[in-house]
Amino acid sequence: MGRKLPDVSNLQFLALGILMAGERPGREIREAVRRFGVRRSAAAFYQFMARLERDGLVEGWYEQIVVGDQRVTERRYRVTGAGRRSWAETRAFYEAVQQMAQAPRSSNA
Amino acid sequence: MRELPWRRLARWLPADVREEVFEPALSDLRIAWLSEAEPGSGLRRLVRDARYALRVLHLFADCWRVRLLRRPARPDAATSHSRNRSERVLMFLYYLHHAIRRLLREPAFTVAATLTLALGVGANVAVFAVVEAVLLRPLPYDEADGLVILHHRDLRTGITKEFIAIGDYVDLAERQSAVEQLVSYGSGRTTMYDEAEPFAVASLGVSEGFFDALRVRPAAGRGFTAEDHRPDARVMMLGYDLWQNRFAGDPGIVGRSIRIGQQTRTVTGIAPRGFRFPPNSATEVILPISVPASAPAARKSDWTFALARLAPGQTVERATADMASISRQLEREYPESNQASTYYFLPLRDALVGSTGSALVLMLAAVAVVLLIACANVANLQLARSLARRREMAVRMALGAGRGRLATLLLAESLVLAGFASGLGILFAQWGVRALVALVPASVDVPGLADVRINVPVLAFALAIAVATALAFGLVASMTMRLEQAADVLVTAGRASMGRLARRATSGLVIVEVALAVVLLMGAGLILRSFAGLLAVDPGFRIERVMTMGIQLPADRYADANARSAFYTRAFDALRAVPGVEEAGAGVVIPLTGNNWTVPFERPEQPVPAGERPPDVGWQAASGGFFRTLEIPLIDGRFFGEQDRPGGNPVVIISEAIQQRFFPNESAVGRRVKLGQNTAEIVGVVGSIRRAGLNDQPRADMYFPFEMNPGGQIVLFVRTAGEPVPMVNSLRAPLRGIEPNTLFQETSSLSDIASESIRVTELLLWLLGVFSVTALLLAAVGIYGVMACAVRQRTREIGTRMAVGATRNDILLLVMRQGSRVAALGLAAGLALGLLAARSLRSVLYGVSATDPTTLTVAAAVLGAATLLACYLPARRASATDPARTLSQP
Repeated sequence: MGRKLPDVSNLQFLALGILMAGERPGREIREAVRRFGVRRSAAAFYQFMARLERDGLVEGWYEQIVVGDQRVTERRYRVTGAGRRSWAETRAFYEAVQQMAQAPRSSNA
Repeated sequence: MRELPWRRLARWLPADVREEVFEPALSDLRIAWLSEAEPGSGLRRLVRDARYALRVLHLFADCWRVRLLRRPARPDAATSHSRNRSERVLMFLYYLHHAIRRLLREPAFTVAATLTLALGVGANVAVFAVVEAVLLRPLPYDEADGLVILHHRDLRTGITKEFIAIGDYVDLAERQSAVEQLVSYGSGRTTMYDEAEPFAVASLGVSEGFFDALRVRPAAGRGFTAEDHRPDARVMMLGYDLWQNRFAGDPGIVGRSIRIGQQTRTVTGIAPRGFRFPPNSATEVILPISVPASAPAARKSDWTFALARLAPGQTVERATADMASISRQLEREYPESNQASTYYFLPLRDALVGSTGSALVLMLAAVAVVLLIACANVANLQLARSLARRREMAVRMALGAGRGRLATLLLAESLVLAGFASGLGILFAQWGVRALVALVPASVDVPGLADVRINVPVLAFALAIAVATALAFGLVASMTMRLEQAADVLVTAGRASMGRLARRATSGLVIVEVALAVVLLMGAGLILRSFAGLLAVDPGFRIERVMTMGIQLPADRYADANARSAFYTRAFDALRAVPGVEEAGAGVVIPLTGNNWTVPFERPEQPVPAGERPPDVGWQAASGGFFRTLEIPLIDGRFFGEQDRPGGNPVVIISEAIQQRFFPNESAVGRRVKLGQNTAEIVGVVGSIRRAGLNDQPRADMYFPFEMNPGGQIVLFVRTAGEPVPMVNSLRAPLRGIEPNTLFQETSSLSDIASESIRVTELLLWLLGVFSVTALLLAAVGIYGVMACAVRQRTREIGTRMAVGATRNDILLLVMRQGSRVAALGLAAGLALGLLAARSLRSVLYGVSATDPTTLTVAAAVLGAATLLACYLPARRASATDPARTLSQP
């Protein structure tokens, strides 16, 4: 069966992967992405997340939390069904590539 | 820190960026800020808040960056023109963004430069806010630029007055052709009798056409018609505030009759809200005044003020030329009253602001100098910093960045720095404005002063200053870099030495700083000497422990001079009986308040030649107790006394200056002076006093007996054994006992009046003092920075010199010589500049020349000492260099 190239970028794959374990606030996703060596300014990061939302891969909403004695809102995200599918397809693609890379090579000799 | 203002920033972002990017990112910043440990001290909290503010601003800029970097949905939609434009905007934003990050990475430099500039910007914005309110904001009348006030100048003495002799007014109004109409007005205080107790009101008398000249329409009812200006008309208008406060805004007041002064008048209308004339004083009642149709024979029988609106196409100069020409006609026609006198127009604002305008401009110049010095200091800091960045710049150049681009990069940093400084400077200015207005003496009664605020024009000025500041210190740094070759820099950058051009630039900047600081120090020194001179002046009368109280008697009960005389006799006795009162008297003119009322002086046996005007001398009506209270010495004859009652022989007292001028070799007592068609006997000679102000000369004054024709509105002078101000109530009580309806007007001690009269000088002294000390410190810091930098660069050279035998003293002298040369050049330039600038101070100096050598020497010495100290510290460090260690370093 022929495989097509994934629709999501590496960074999108990373972000979706972080969210596969459950919903998380934006700042935690940004921090997790940073641990993979990807540094994005806050503005660039949220623009990236907005694009994921527009593509229907994640869903974002505001939630009120209490910090100290003050109520503040924070942006939280969860992965959508389309996001899960896309992530799974991409993962399968990479696994297939990995398997191919690890398979014993046939020799013409 | 309140969140709301930062949310407001979001308005300046496109809606999608605001919702998708700014809002969530701002939430994260806020959570991080709130999660930080609770700060202990106020300073830590301030730093934390400032860091949060900077991060939000950075986020805002970053939002714009990502928005502009975003790929367009359809690339072909953008035209090439708009693409170029957006690229340019993008590049500019990139520069700004880069500059912000760069500056945040160097907090020590950023804080030092921002604070230095913010102080300069803050001082400038604060002074400008006052200038804007007083000199630039439109006056509260339509087309106020066309309004002018008529003034009189005595060409013999140079004394100018706003009040005009009625005869001259009538002729000037009839013959003039440069203004729409010359109208007469006069303000004063009178008593209004409502159902409740009588109360004092500020009144404005106006001749026909006054409201047309001001383009004022009544808020209710009508203005005055020609009929209303007939002498027998009994009408008036009420001021808006009086109508609201006393009559609860009752529209039925129009047409009602109210007793005011000695007459009952019908209210014709209400002045519009906010109407005041002059604009800085209350106008509660407006009364019509009538002007004679032709000039009376006694041309100076009455006095008035005159206002006009320039005719279309006319200028103040042409209108003044017209007045001068009519003045010459009047001089020819009435030489005995008009010789050597001329009339001229002053724009209304100039007339209201007076000398305060020039003091304000002086202050603006002084703070501009402080800002220039601050700019020079920051430019020096930038230069020192650019030393460390030369390699970065050289690499950029080598990679193809044009010099223009690099200069723009540096300029962007300057712009950001100037932006930070302006923001902080505006905050400083908010406090500065309050402090400045609080310092202005109450006697400085100019329009706008009560409403000084940081408004749009002031913010525009702050913006202009920010840009000018950025250009001023940014260009210096970028220009020195432009002329350096990338290759040279890359080769020499390892040694991190300053190029010759940069060295010259820093020295030049220090010379400028020192020169400007000398100018300010000179100014402050001159004002200090003036102030000391004014404090040491003997006014010729006692100032301490004397109270002045303006009183007004009810006109209806004291219409008769004998009734008033009886009141004052009882009042003086009652006041003298108050425990702690030493003496009491009465006069009309309060000394030291700038009063210039004059009267012609002529001896009957030495009449002035026909067709000439007799000389003027100062006028005062005073009781005998006035001289005793103020301890004005009696030199000859007697004071006024019991015998000088209404109907008695006309007598006068003259000051010693008149005795010396008109009776040089004889006793004046017993001689007579002409008073119109009659004569009066001189009964006494008293010491001359500085009547108009402490900076006045002892005057030739003629005193008329208050007892002979006591007015209903006078000033009581009371000398007390102790501090007089706490005694005010015990002084008022006996007067109320004699006449319960006595109205008390302004009350203050003579020492307060004296202090008030020199408060403008004191204020200038304070401000110039603060500015010059700031300038001195900045200049010292500047020279210290340059010398420290120079010493650092010459470490190897110094080490070598010491290795080959130079002593520590040799090195000390070497460095001191270098610093002294720069300081000496600055001092020389500053003294030359100061001598030019000091001319502008002449009007506020007293008893000291603008080129006073002592002041110049002291200013130069103070600055010289400060700069030498600033040089000495780096020099000492240089002399402590260890040659072995220095030379062993790579």
